[in-house]
Amino acid sequence: MTLGEQIAAARPRVIAALAVQFRDLDLAEDAFAESATKALQLPDPPDRLAGWLFVAAKRKALDMIRKREAEGRAIADAKPLSDMADIIQLPEPIEDERLRLIFICCHPALALEVRTALALKVICGLPVEVIARLFVTSQATMFQRITRAKRKVQEAGISFELPPRKAWGERLDAVLLTLELAYTAAYQDAAGELDAELSEEVARLAAMVAELLPDEPEVLGLAALVWLASSREKARIDSRGAMVPLSRQDCALWNYAAIDRARQWLDRAHNFGRTGPYQVMAAIQLTHARRGFDGTTDWQAIVKLYDALAIMRPGAMVSLNRSLALAKVEGVQAGLDALQSISGDRVENSRPFQVARAEFLTELGRLDEAKGALAKALSLDPPRAERLFLESKLAGLTAL
Amino acid sequence: MQYMLLINEDESIYEGEDGAKVMEATLAGHMKLIEELSQSGREWSGNRLKPGATATTIRYTAGEGTLHDGPYAETHEELGGYYIVDADDLDSAIEWARKIPVPGNGAVEVRPVWPEEE
Repeated sequence: MTLGEQIAAARPRVIAALAVQFRDLDLAEDAFAESATKALQLPDPPDRLAGWLFVAAKRKALDMIRKREAEGRAIADAKPLSDMADIIQLPEPIEDERLRLIFICCHPALALEVRTALALKVICGLPVEVIARLFVTSQATMFQRITRAKRKVQEAGISFELPPRKAWGERLDAVLLTLELAYTAAYQDAAGELDAELSEEVARLAAMVAELLPDEPEVLGLAALVWLASSREKARIDSRGAMVPLSRQDCALWNYAAIDRARQWLDRAHNFGRTGPYQVMAAIQLTHARRGFDGTTDWQAIVKLYDALAIMRPGAMVSLNRSLALAKVEGVQAGLDALQSISGDRVENSRPFQVARAEFLTELGRLDEAKGALAKALSLDPPRAERLFLESKLAGLTAL
Repeated sequence: MQYMLLINEDESIYEGEDGAKVMEATLAGHMKLIEELSQSGREWSGNRLKPGATATTIRYTAGEGTLHDGPYAETHEELGGYYIVDADDLDSAIEWARKIPVPGNGAVEVRPVWPEEE
């Protein structure tokens, strides 16, 4: 690891400790940034980097507070400094406050998208421009949203304490939804066009939450889901930049270490006997991953898992994916029937629906209708990788 | 930290056949909350407001005010009362807010009060 990467890896822990100590997210971020710059200028990197960064940042933070003399009160609130002597020789042990920081950034009093942005910014240190890309908005708008969120944390009095266990239900749901949005935005909506920096950071965040909440099966399920998606990162785009759907991916390109990690999380989650939508979604993806081991896909199992998911979290996308699996078990016509029984204009005007329809119609030999569905999907503004994929599919049909 | 809990409710639930009964149950809920607040030993206050129909609004356009009959917001939900509670943080304030009985449709807004010293 380069020093820069080591600093990035140390960030969540150091920022969390600073945030909890000074009860100020901005101050924590600013002070950390200064200490990181200082660390990068050292002739030799310090041995215990996190501790060094923490102490250097803490000093910086105290300086900043002194400068804002009006807020002298905050100094009295902060824990006393144990040693102001030589920070290089005396790194302090850092309390692990990452969970508190996660609960702060993912507080349900903040809007979902704002939470996600705040978590990616404060915990992961992702630049605002990358987060803005994720939510398809301008850098200025995103910057403003994050600033407003930090102000709300401060002024609405969002607690810097860990919520009591009995209050975890809603708070934990908020954390899960935050992570899910980051995952969907980074992996799902990207349709092949992954932003490596972003997806890596989302995977790291999911793993961190799983590490901190090892007894929450849905947290483990979500981490598994994210890592299974990340395991296919290299296989999801071909040399021309076109999207490769899961069923055609070259499984030699999958990351088996990531798959194994996901499997372990899911195994552990299973022991708690409390199943939930994230565990089921991860189980579906893990079932797909089996193709990389023995070349087979258990479509029957996948249909059953989608049935379970449809009960826990009914929705058009679940039904749509189920119809694709059903086609493998009961035949293409059954798949098409199931697909067409999903009602609603919004579904019919969505790309996944048209793409699935095109797939079924092609296999049924109804090529003109298939071409129509593909043309419709292409008119719905697909991202570049998906557009290339759809165009080559359409060209293939036209050549027949 | 002080928080104001603003109770916005659809008043129609208190009208009609079961209206009186619903009102009675709601008031009992408020009494219970008031008792809890008093026992908490923390500073608090609160008031119930008369129905939205009794309101008069001075509506301003570019600083120029004219009188209007009725509450300012044209919604089904009216501000029907409020509490001001002293709580350690937002979560504790929300915990109080959740104890406010709202039998029908409505919303309780939790807002920090601007501190005096700032």
